[in-house]
Amino acid sequence: MKALWYFIKSYFAILVVGLVYAWSAGAILVYRNRQTPPDAVVLRIGHWQLEASVRDAINEMAERYREVHPNVYVVQDAIPEGVYGQWVSTQLLGGTAPDIVQVGAMLPPNIWLSYYNRYFIPLSREVNRPNPYNKSTELEGTALRQTYKDGMRTAYVDEMQEYMSIPLSQFGVRIFYNKDMLKRLTGLDEAPEDYREFLAACEKIASQKDERGNNYIPIAGSQYHFSMWDPMMFDPLTYGAVRKADFNRDGFVGNDELYTAIKTGRLSMKFPPFEAKFRMLREVTDHFQTGYTGLTRDEAVFLFAQQKAVFMTTGTWDARSLQAQAEGRFEVGVMDFPVPAPDDPYYGPIVEGRNYERPGGGFSFGITRTSKNPELALDFLLFMASQQQNEELNRVIGWIPCILGTEMDPMLEAFAPHLEGVYGAFPIWLGGETGVKWQQLYSLYQVNQISYDDFVSQFEPFYQEQGYKDFLEQQRDWRRGMHQNERFLAGIRARALASEGDDATSAWVKYRALTTSRQIWAELGHNRQMRLIDQGPDLDAVGPYEYSPAILKKIRARIKKEK
Amino acid sequence: MRRFIMRVAVAATALAGALFLFACSSAVYVVESDDPFESAWNDYTLGEFDRATEKFEALRAGAVVGGDEWCKAVYGLATTWNLRRPGEDTKKATAYYEELIQGAPTHDLAVWSRLALARMKHLVPVGETPDYGEVRKAYRDVMALHPGHLAAQEAFLYLQSTLISSLDPAQTKQALEALEKAVADPEYQFVGPAWSLIAVGSQTLGDMERRLHAEEMSLKTTEVDPTNPFTEYSWQYWNLATIAEFDVGDFEKARYYYQKLIEEYPQDIRVYGARQALMRMDDLEMKIRAEM
Repeated sequence: MKALWYFIKSYFAILVVGLVYAWSAGAILVYRNRQTPPDAVVLRIGHWQLEASVRDAINEMAERYREVHPNVYVVQDAIPEGVYGQWVSTQLLGGTAPDIVQVGAMLPPNIWLSYYNRYFIPLSREVNRPNPYNKSTELEGTALRQTYKDGMRTAYVDEMQEYMSIPLSQFGVRIFYNKDMLKRLTGLDEAPEDYREFLAACEKIASQKDERGNNYIPIAGSQYHFSMWDPMMFDPLTYGAVRKADFNRDGFVGNDELYTAIKTGRLSMKFPPFEAKFRMLREVTDHFQTGYTGLTRDEAVFLFAQQKAVFMTTGTWDARSLQAQAEGRFEVGVMDFPVPAPDDPYYGPIVEGRNYERPGGGFSFGITRTSKNPELALDFLLFMASQQQNEELNRVIGWIPCILGTEMDPMLEAFAPHLEGVYGAFPIWLGGETGVKWQQLYSLYQVNQISYDDFVSQFEPFYQEQGYKDFLEQQRDWRRGMHQNERFLAGIRARALASEGDDATSAWVKYRALTTSRQIWAELGHNRQMRLIDQGPDLDAVGPYEYSPAILKKIRARIKKEK
Repeated sequence: MRRFIMRVAVAATALAGALFLFACSSAVYVVESDDPFESAWNDYTLGEFDRATEKFEALRAGAVVGGDEWCKAVYGLATTWNLRRPGEDTKKATAYYEELIQGAPTHDLAVWSRLALARMKHLVPVGETPDYGEVRKAYRDVMALHPGHLAAQEAFLYLQSTLISSLDPAQTKQALEALEKAVADPEYQFVGPAWSLIAVGSQTLGDMERRLHAEEMSLKTTEVDPTNPFTEYSWQYWNLATIAEFDVGDFEKARYYYQKLIEEYPQDIRVYGARQALMRMDDLEMKIRAEM
């Protein structure tokens, strides 16, 4: 007895650890056994979506799948976002990863790339075959990738030249609002999508007080939410700069082009579309709660859920949880970002329309190489990616289906992407000292501590003077990309050299295509950029999207001849 | 004595526990191939350069000097030392490439080794500028020693790109002459990019009609990678349309390509710009007609 007591005393810590381990292992075994019958085939699926509706939707899919495959059970590992990266890394490295794993975020892209390479099964062959679960629909016989609204673009990993995942949803960003509060405080049934009317509604909301005497907040904001307002509403106003500074006429203004345009006086921060961006930013953020730049996402959501704020921007991923929080208390509406009318006295001549939104799939899943049932894992994903089930999956979650011909929750119709529109053309970021200066002044402007005139007078001369140095610093590493491409191409070449027949033909086509796209143009592009920065555009010449006198003469001659 | 026995018992229990845990763990999946060369190249692709080097070294040691296996092993070894980051050793890489060239001068990989040596001269470390005279000489050597070989054709393309990239009219003219001959050669395999280089060179020389023609030829001769479904022509359509509109004044062609962009790539970001362009050309023509 004494010996036992002595033993426990001496090895207490080890014994505690051992007991806790044994208890955990036992608990997991019992838990797993309760989830699935002993002879069941178990598919494990790991993801970071803790929203209850996502888990419910996957369970619903699992139940439906069991109607076709009675012995297959799906077990979910729902891991919090904050630790998903570490969790998925340890699972993959340890060879214990679930059969199906959500991919594409929570880790840097280069890490995902290496994981795809090592731990996931390429799906290119499968995505070019029809989805068997689309039988008896208009998508029957259509290759899986062609059943997607975006052609399954986001699933293709360029560096590997393979499809690596199967996306299941689409996402978008809009403004959510409290319909009851809006009606009560402004008398409006629907939120106004005209910019001036939207501002007027915000002013009316801000002028009223709640039962405690506090003013209502028109828009719940935070730094997280600002990052959505900016690209969706403010930045697209700068599109007009494309016509002035897109010197290489690729359709975009690069940071080298903007710097050159400002340095040579072709543009300035007083360019009306640039001023308009900052004016709108001021007008809208004045209706955010005070100090929004220092607040987090949750704090803004809290204001909205507590009915202290009327509007809040966020994405489809929050739609269902916002609805759940509002249930029984208020009705949630969704509106598009307001746009100034064409006859608006200030914005009218500047605004050209809504912003362009690139459609793309998300909520993507890959199949791990350690899966004991990879065919079954693929089959379950195909099941969820079929027209009928994808619609149901996303209906339960409250997201947008990504398969063609599916219908979405009426609340989400406002999320349909604008496939035609304008986009930002103000890439002022050059890093270095100008980057620091920009951040300092921009923060002050955001919280209304400096005027736009002060912002411009403090930033623009500094940018003109220091920008060249920062640009050169940014350009220093351009050759590094060529080294990386060379390494990648050597691997492709080795594969081509080792293959035979049709495989060899295909591999060499790929090699030549990649050599051309990746290694031929870098030097030329760099030299052109440096020439533009060093010498500037020809100021006597017409703008990139203007006709020269010689071309006008030619067109006139042609029209005259036609007559 | 009793204490000693107790400790031994605890150690034995811990060891048994560890063995039990080890037995319970799943086998870690490692990408391995039955083909030792494929396995070594897989390691190279995955960035496992030490493993790749070990495997190539073992293969080299077990092969007959000058034989096919030896060449493959030496080439893999040279490539790994050349392109691995971090830990590259360009001296070792050069030595291996040269060893291959000397040991099997007629082997296909000897040609690729010569190209690799030329590329090493071109792709200097970050912050340095290549000695373009040396680079061009190295490319010319590959072309002269192995005419018609794909590596020599690639060397030709790189050589011309260095001349075009100079943005110097005299060097550009020289490159354009060579490139025009290449695109006329049915054996030349990089026809699409050669046309693209002609287009860029023509722009440098201010010959916009030739530029437009070359860009169209480049589009027509683009090689489609069968495994990449996203061979996009939207950029080429946009480029051709804007050249036709602003540099050549050929509105018919401009309209054709803007329209193709809108129809074939309705989700492309430039669709708005393409529609604006169509309206802009209509407006201009209407204005000119009204003036006449």
